[in-house]
Amino acid sequence: MRKIETYHWIERYLAGELTGEELSNFELRLKTDQALAEQLEQFREVTDTLHFYGQRKSLQQKLNTIHAQSFEPQPKKVITPFGNKEKRQIFWNQHYATIAVAASVALLTVFGTLFSIDLWRSMGKQQAARYSALRREVEKIKNSQRAINRAITGNETKSLPKAEYDPGNFSGTGFAISADGYLVTSYHVVSGADSVFIQNSSGQQYKVKNIYRDQAHDLAILKIADDNFPGFGTLPYGVKASESDLGERVYTLGYPREDMVFGEGSLSSRTGFEGDTTSYQISIPVNPGNSGGPLLDNQGNLIGVISGKQLDLQGAAFAVKSAYLKQLVEQLSLDSVESPIKLAKSNQLAGASRTRQLKKLEDYVFIIKVYNN
Amino acid sequence: MHKVLYFSDEALLAGIRNEEEAALAYLYKQHYPMILHFVQNNNGTDDEAKDIYQEAVIVFYEKVKDQNLELNCQIKTYLYSICRRLWLKRLALKNRFAGMITDSDTFIQVDEEVAELEENELKFKKMGEALVLLGEPCKTLIEDFYIQDLTMQSITEKFGYTNADNTKNQKYKCLMRLKKLFFTLYKTEISSS
Repeated sequence: MRKIETYHWIERYLAGELTGEELSNFELRLKTDQALAEQLEQFREVTDTLHFYGQRKSLQQKLNTIHAQSFEPQPKKVITPFGNKEKRQIFWNQHYATIAVAASVALLTVFGTLFSIDLWRSMGKQQAARYSALRREVEKIKNSQRAINRAITGNETKSLPKAEYDPGNFSGTGFAISADGYLVTSYHVVSGADSVFIQNSSGQQYKVKNIYRDQAHDLAILKIADDNFPGFGTLPYGVKASESDLGERVYTLGYPREDMVFGEGSLSSRTGFEGDTTSYQISIPVNPGNSGGPLLDNQGNLIGVISGKQLDLQGAAFAVKSAYLKQLVEQLSLDSVESPIKLAKSNQLAGASRTRQLKKLEDYVFIIKVYNN
Repeated sequence: MHKVLYFSDEALLAGIRNEEEAALAYLYKQHYPMILHFVQNNNGTDDEAKDIYQEAVIVFYEKVKDQNLELNCQIKTYLYSICRRLWLKRLALKNRFAGMITDSDTFIQVDEEVAELEENELKFKKMGEALVLLGEPCKTLIEDFYIQDLTMQSITEKFGYTNADNTKNQKYKCLMRLKKLFFTLYKTEISSS
């Protein structure tokens, strides 16, 4: 009981509740009573420490919160695919100008790139087009002829109902190589063809059945499949196996238009387009439609097949060497064709004048009509 | 937490004196990376950095609030110096101190502060231990009265005592026990160290 009394006194003293007489009495007791003073001191220390403890504890908690908020990984929020709507709106409002610029730059870049790639490609194509294969696009010519007609007469020509005549989509030239109905032309003339007809200078037309193609040398061999076809008879020219000499006089017959056209020149190089050793360069003026025409020398030997010309050079035409024709025929005789193709060997044209040669020749040179609808 | 910027040390000190939460948070965030860097560079972990940094901030904070800090350098330097000393001691305890640490900043002598800090730390620790040893319900009662500053009346109601005198008696008994426990723990620690 005594102790608790003392404790209450101490507590009240420290709280400042003692006044007047009580206070002076207590202070007097403190001075005299050593034990009381010691108790007071201890009491004070414990309560102070308790205060200190409490404050520090709460401070620690605060710091821990701050630390956790600032320096420790926050628990991950649920991530919606595009953030919330308001944030998106704000973002858009802030950045739409930048986004617009970025998008237009991106579009410009994409289309610019596509355009320039296209341009670059077409430049490449122009380069490739320096070599031109000489098959004739018939429709084109027909249209331009109509346009000319119209221009001359001044009104729509009511063309007379002609006998139904279809010139085909493309045309080229071909010539016979054996008596039983084999002909030669250029590969590019008959490439992609649905059906092929041949027509001679007198207008006689035959259908072609089989086509043997050799794309590498731009050659094709056709076989006539017509019951009415009587055969060519003996061919007047022979195929020359060896190479011809530079400067040799050469000529060709072909159908760059509806009628047969003669062209003459000389053998100007032993190699063809870009040094192609399988063909000659010749100085005969040739035109679309000449492709597949025979190239003959002065003695009437077949030395090549006209194939194309170089656009950016004057008077540079090319013809595949006859050696490759011979090679192709031999190969075909071995594996593809039922009966071997007998190439004409005898040459009946040697020594004859040019006009006599041509007269004999023209029956064996044909217009090749190609239909590919 | 408000994002308030304290542009100078003076403003920050004033903020702490006014017990602004934001000031404390700002202080804490501003210098933690430096201490983290320092500790990591000297064989320490993130947790250790956090420990000593918090000690230093607490000391600083308490001193500022009690108005007994004579700061004649930057806050940054002060905190760094304290942390540096604390870290040296820790390393010594861990027997890993090779006599060299890599300093990342200038520092001042803080022997006095550290001594005081350690004494306070010891008191704090022992009081905590004493409270745990005291056990319930004494612990809560003492905490409510002396730390939370609740009135006798509300404590009486909370603990379901019949009247305030009863509570007073109970509190007296608890405090006596706490006093005994605390002084035993504290004194033995002082004499042993």
